[in-house]
Amino acid sequence: MKEIQQKVERLLLKTQKPARYIGGELGSVIKDRDKVDVRFAFCFPDVYDVGMSHLGMKILYGLKNQRENWWCERVFMPEKDFEQQMRENDIPLYALESLDPIKDFDFIGFTLQYELSYTNVLEMLDLAGLPVYSRDRKDLTPIIVGGGPCVCNPEPVADFFDLFIIGEGEEVNIELMELYERMKPSAPTKEEFLREAAKIEGIYVPSFYDVAYNDDGTVNSIVPNREGVPAKVRKRVIADFDSVYYPDSFVVPFTSIVHDRAVVEVLRGCIRGCRFCQAGFIYRPFREKKIETIEKQTKCLCEQTGYEQVSLSSLSTSDYTQIEKLLDTLADYTDSERINLSLPSLRIDKFSEELLEKIASVRKSGLTFAPEAGTQKLRDVINKNITEEEIMHTCKMAFEAGYGTVKLYFMLGLPEETDEDVLGIAELAHKVVDLYFATPREQRASTIQVSLSTATFVPKPFTPFEFEPQARPEEVNRRQKLISDAIRSKKIRFSYHEQKVSNLEAVLARGDRRICDVIYSAWKSGCTLDSWDEHFRPDLWEDAFNKCGIDRDFYVYRRRSYDEIMPWSHLDYLVSREFLISENKKAHEAKTTRNCCEGCSACGITTKYGGTYCKVRE
Amino acid sequence: MLMPKNQNLIIERWDYRLTFAKEGRARYISHLDLMRTMQRAIKRAGIPIWYTQGFNPHAYLMFPLALSLGTDSRIEILDIALTEDLPFDEVVEKLNSSMPEGLYFVSAARPVMKHTDIAFAEYIIEADFDIPVEEAYEKFKQFIHQDVIEVEKRTKPKKGRKAGVKLIDIKPHIDLINISADKEKLIVELRLPAGGEFNLNTSVVIDAFCSFAAADIVTQYTKRTKILTASGENFL
Repeated sequence: MKEIQQKVERLLLKTQKPARYIGGELGSVIKDRDKVDVRFAFCFPDVYDVGMSHLGMKILYGLKNQRENWWCERVFMPEKDFEQQMRENDIPLYALESLDPIKDFDFIGFTLQYELSYTNVLEMLDLAGLPVYSRDRKDLTPIIVGGGPCVCNPEPVADFFDLFIIGEGEEVNIELMELYERMKPSAPTKEEFLREAAKIEGIYVPSFYDVAYNDDGTVNSIVPNREGVPAKVRKRVIADFDSVYYPDSFVVPFTSIVHDRAVVEVLRGCIRGCRFCQAGFIYRPFREKKIETIEKQTKCLCEQTGYEQVSLSSLSTSDYTQIEKLLDTLADYTDSERINLSLPSLRIDKFSEELLEKIASVRKSGLTFAPEAGTQKLRDVINKNITEEEIMHTCKMAFEAGYGTVKLYFMLGLPEETDEDVLGIAELAHKVVDLYFATPREQRASTIQVSLSTATFVPKPFTPFEFEPQARPEEVNRRQKLISDAIRSKKIRFSYHEQKVSNLEAVLARGDRRICDVIYSAWKSGCTLDSWDEHFRPDLWEDAFNKCGIDRDFYVYRRRSYDEIMPWSHLDYLVSREFLISENKKAHEAKTTRNCCEGCSACGITTKYGGTYCKVRE
Repeated sequence: MLMPKNQNLIIERWDYRLTFAKEGRARYISHLDLMRTMQRAIKRAGIPIWYTQGFNPHAYLMFPLALSLGTDSRIEILDIALTEDLPFDEVVEKLNSSMPEGLYFVSAARPVMKHTDIAFAEYIIEADFDIPVEEAYEKFKQFIHQDVIEVEKRTKPKKGRKAGVKLIDIKPHIDLINISADKEKLIVELRLPAGGEFNLNTSVVIDAFCSFAAADIVTQYTKRTKILTASGENFL
């Protein structure tokens, strides 16, 4: 540790934002390394500023460190400048608390939040001094673990990990580490440990499954190759969400990070079922915390961290059943302490006047809406159940309350999308601008800025659109141009996403094990930090696909049949295949499905998982 | 109608001048980040901070003199204001109850002087170069006894003039207090101008020395030891 610290300190003054590499933040947990039995390196495969904003890490960090003889530490991907310095000076990847090299840890866990972070995983393993392929790591430790939303299809990175944690981590992480602590004294082999681990529900050991392919390239079968390994791995769900562990302290960074505030998770899951949205399906069912719990956690975190802003986090906070009462309860505390209460992810239809006022009473910032599609027909296709009337009503209230910036997010390349739907995006933006000018001058803000932003639709596993092809880049470009040509107002600013990024995401999201070697090859040729525009190298990725003889079009532009075995078919996210197929059919007929609050649609999740609105018994 | 939230509301304020330390890992907190860190520390301490009056009330915090990244110090100054007259030791104790490693308060007092009274600061620099320490010692003596020590200074763009580089002579501003060497390191004590008027960082002097001696720094440890007024009194 001393040696690493000295080497690191020597480099810090030559480095951008050095506080990211030295630790020592308030709330970071320091233990005596001689008194701990299990050491876990929690890695976020992106830079500190991004990773430190991630709530899952804060939860699992606090949870694991509750045990006196376990020590969980944080590790992030270094920026390119520091990474180069580390390599030149023989500094292995180290954890921020102890500054010890992570290759000596018992576990190294990665949270996979987005596909474009996959090369960073390889980079971090390599920086740690470890072989990147699981098969080349013969020793029991470190055990390389993956979790997070992307592991709903972990196959493109299956060769690099020893095991994956499927679903919510609060219970299964503990079970895994307890198993390890029990077995460690008998010095098991890696194989022996993994076989025991595979018996824990929610643990998927990829090397215990063989994948066979058909002549046309599709998956033929995925079967266990060991005794006692489940044919299907079911995701873990916290049924009693109100009493699940929540940290009473956060690590408070010195340097500014993306979400620099206290965060309280108020609900998990989503009632909506928008057909493109992976989070809306893989985090089901909808569960929420009691008001008293949220209030207690808010106070506790604000007092410990000293943050002046607290965010009520979830996929859709306005779907909290007693949102107004919750805000009233919290406002008493936050107002007196001058704490800014922020609500991300509000839905347009639920945006009542009162709610708007409560947020505005702190500070008037911009409004952000995601109508996702430009016409009612297409919004019905994707099951985004909001109407133009609702959008206009909310904007009208916002303008009357003095808001002057509106951001509108849309997707391009959705199934069933026509030019009429595309032009509808520009039209909607014009209507919003007109609405501003129709607002009395005394009430409205002095100026209006409507930012229009489109992203390319990426079909994701475990959604009703998992069968859909992605639109071709030329076609998406043409649709982008349609929009920019249709914009007549100077008050509208239009921006869109890079096509090559979305295309790669589409491969990585629905790829199979054959993609592992492509990722390896791309990384080997220098691809890392792919989610950063300045570092993304589509040319190198292109070479990697060619070198491995992988036809990316097969993964991106092919419509999958309803009976195709998907690369992730051996994983069970509780939502049934039948439900996804029926939702896909309804999408093509532009028929909507009611949300969970309006009535259970029998998606496959039964009452035993604690869902607020679930009705089907097992 | 937009109105400052607490307009016409006169809230009594009590000024405190806090002395704090920034050592170890905390040396790498930048000045901007330090501001945020201190705001949160005050919030956590639960002391009744005085808020500025205006459209955007914020906790009043003032650092009269910035400290360079990587420099150690036990004499840094932070001015705050409270709405209650709390005893000095209570303020220090409460603040220290939850501080990150390497950052802590040493004392509190009423401000005596104005920020603009700060004129100099003293530093002790221990550095190890890629040349033998005896040579570094000799060369530093030659360096410091030159008639002129010119360094490049970047100038800000002004009307009709682009940003550029100009040469300035820092020799008259360097006051060498002591120079010595042990087995490995050169140890230099300097008094340099500090504060709003004119500020000279130790790194400017050391960089100038490096190019004079054609040497590179291997390790360096710098500590600020005093903050002084024009007449050489300690800033209070």
